[in-house]
Amino acid sequence: MTKISGKVIVLGDNVDTDQILPGYAMAEPFETLSNFAMAGAPGLDFKDKIKTCDIMVAGRNFGCGSSREQAPHALKQAGVKLIIAQGFARIFRRNSINIGLPVFVADVVDKVKDGDEISVDLSTGEVVVNGETFEFAPLSETVQRTLSYGGLIPRVRADLGIDKEA
Amino acid sequence: MNRIEKWLAQAAGVKTTKPGDDLSCQVAYVGAHDVTSPIAIDQFEAIGVDRVFDPDRVFMVVDHIYPASTEKARQGVWKMKDFAERYGTHLFEKGEGVIHQVLHEKFDVQPGDIVVIADSHTCTCGGYGAIGIGVGSTEQAAAMATGKLDVEVPEVVNVVLTGKLSPYVSGKDLILFLAAEFGADYLTDRGLIISGPGINEFSIAERMTVCNMGTELGSMITLFGDEEPETDVMRTLEVDLSDLKPQIACPFSPVNVKPVSEVAGTPITQVAVGSCTNGRLNDMEQVYNVLKDHKVASHVNMLVFPASREIQNEMDRLGWSEVIRNAGATLLNPGCGPCFGAHEGLVTPRDVVVSSTNRNFPGRMGSTEAQIYLASPLTAVLSAVKGEIVEPGAENA
Repeated sequence: MTKISGKVIVLGDNVDTDQILPGYAMAEPFETLSNFAMAGAPGLDFKDKIKTCDIMVAGRNFGCGSSREQAPHALKQAGVKLIIAQGFARIFRRNSINIGLPVFVADVVDKVKDGDEISVDLSTGEVVVNGETFEFAPLSETVQRTLSYGGLIPRVRADLGIDKEA
Repeated sequence: MNRIEKWLAQAAGVKTTKPGDDLSCQVAYVGAHDVTSPIAIDQFEAIGVDRVFDPDRVFMVVDHIYPASTEKARQGVWKMKDFAERYGTHLFEKGEGVIHQVLHEKFDVQPGDIVVIADSHTCTCGGYGAIGIGVGSTEQAAAMATGKLDVEVPEVVNVVLTGKLSPYVSGKDLILFLAAEFGADYLTDRGLIISGPGINEFSIAERMTVCNMGTELGSMITLFGDEEPETDVMRTLEVDLSDLKPQIACPFSPVNVKPVSEVAGTPITQVAVGSCTNGRLNDMEQVYNVLKDHKVASHVNMLVFPASREIQNEMDRLGWSEVIRNAGATLLNPGCGPCFGAHEGLVTPRDVVVSSTNRNFPGRMGSTEAQIYLASPLTAVLSAVKGEIVEPGAENA
C-alpha cells in the first residue's frame, strides 16, 4: 500500500475542480462520476490516457477551486491510483485522503512525459522516475494512518470504537 | 498568539498553540448544501452513529440548484429532507438563499466560532470575525458526527489597511488586488487576517465579500481583525486604500487580475451580479443606483440574483426590484444562480461575461471557451449599460 507504481499522465499548473469535474456533473449519480472525470479539460484526452496510465503528475496548486468531493471521487473511480503534484489546494488534498485516494507532494512534473514509469514510496518519500531516484517528504503519520484505513470514515469508526483498531 | 491561534487554541481546549500544531477543535456550526450534502449524508450514515453532535448546530441549505433543474438534483433534495427529519437538524430548502448568507441571517455566529461547511466559500463568515473552514463532504460528515475538526495551525499573513477608499472601489476590488499580490497558492495552508484602521472603510457585507474570495488565494482561514496589527505572524503587508483602483480578474483565473482600465472597451454579452460573493443589499444598491437612470445595453443579458430572500424582500420594499427589471435586467431567485455553471444563464464560446461572482475557470459558466471577467457590482452594472467593460470613475463611464 505504501509503495505505488504506474505510468503517468502529465498535467500543468492550477488544474482546477471545474476541469476535474464540471459543475453540471455534480448532481449525477455517484457511481457514474468517472464518466465526467477531467471533462472540463477536453484537450487532455483523459479517457484515452487512463486506459494505460493511472498516476497523475502535475505542477502547482492542483485541485484549486471548489470543495466538491465529486472531483477526487471521479478520478478515483476512473482508475487514478495516485496524484503527484508540486502543490495541492488544501481542500482537494484533504478530500482525496479522506476518500482513500493518495496524493503526494513532489516536484517531478518537468522530469516526466505521458506514459513514463514512476514509483513512489509514500512512507519514505522515495520517488523513482525513469530509473532515477529522488527524495521528498513522506506523508505525515496522520495521513498514512487515514489511508491505511481506506479513508476518514473507517478511521472515525475506529476512533469512536464502532470498529476495532485495524 | 495571533487571533487565529488564540481561537483555535480555545476551541481545542489548550492554553497556547503555534503553527504546525495538530489540534482537534470543537466546532460551533456544521453545514452543507445540495451539491455536498448527498455524499455527506451517505458518509455520515456509514459512520454508524445514531445522532449528530448537536442538531441545533447542524444545517443544510438548498442553494446551488434551486429549483431543481434535473430529476437527479431533486433526488438529492429528498435525501436532505429525509436526513433533517430523521436527525432533527435545520433545513432551508425553499429558496431562502445561499448557505453563507443564510448562516449569517439565521444563526447567532460569534467572532471566533469555528464554522465548518462543505463548501470552499465558508471563509465568508470571516467578514464578521468567525473562523470559517471549508471542507469536503466526508470531513463534514465526520464533523456532524463528532462535533470536532482536525486542524493544523496555519502560519498567518497579516494585511494592514490604511487610507481612504475612493467611491468607485469596494471590497471586491480589494480582494482582487490581493489576489494579484499573493497569487493562487502562496496562501495555501496559511491564514489571512485583515487589520488596520482602513478596515473601517468596509461594512460587514463588504468584509464578507473580501473573505469570501480568500479561498481563491488558497487561504485556509480568512478573517477581519481589528485596527491593531496582529502579533506573531509570518509576514505583514501594508495596503494604502487611497491607491486602490477598480480591479478585474481576466480569463481564466481569479488571480489573473488587472486594473479595469487595461481592459476597458472589451465588448461583452452577459453580466451577472449576485451570489455569496456580491449578492448583498449594498451590492444590489450599486445595481439600482445605475439602472434607475440607465438601461441595460440591448445586446447584453443582465442577470441579478440576490444572496437571500431577506435581501430580495428588502429590494422589493425599496422599489429596487421593479427598477432593475424595467431597465432590462432579469431578477433570478435568491441562490447561487449561474455562478457555477449548472443552470440559470449558461454561456457559449461567443459569450463574454462580466460577473461579480468568484471564479472564472474555463467552463465555469458553460462553454470552456466563454470568456469570464470577475469584477465589482459597480464595474459589472456600468459595463452592462455600455455593452463593454467600463472603468468606474473614468470619464467615459
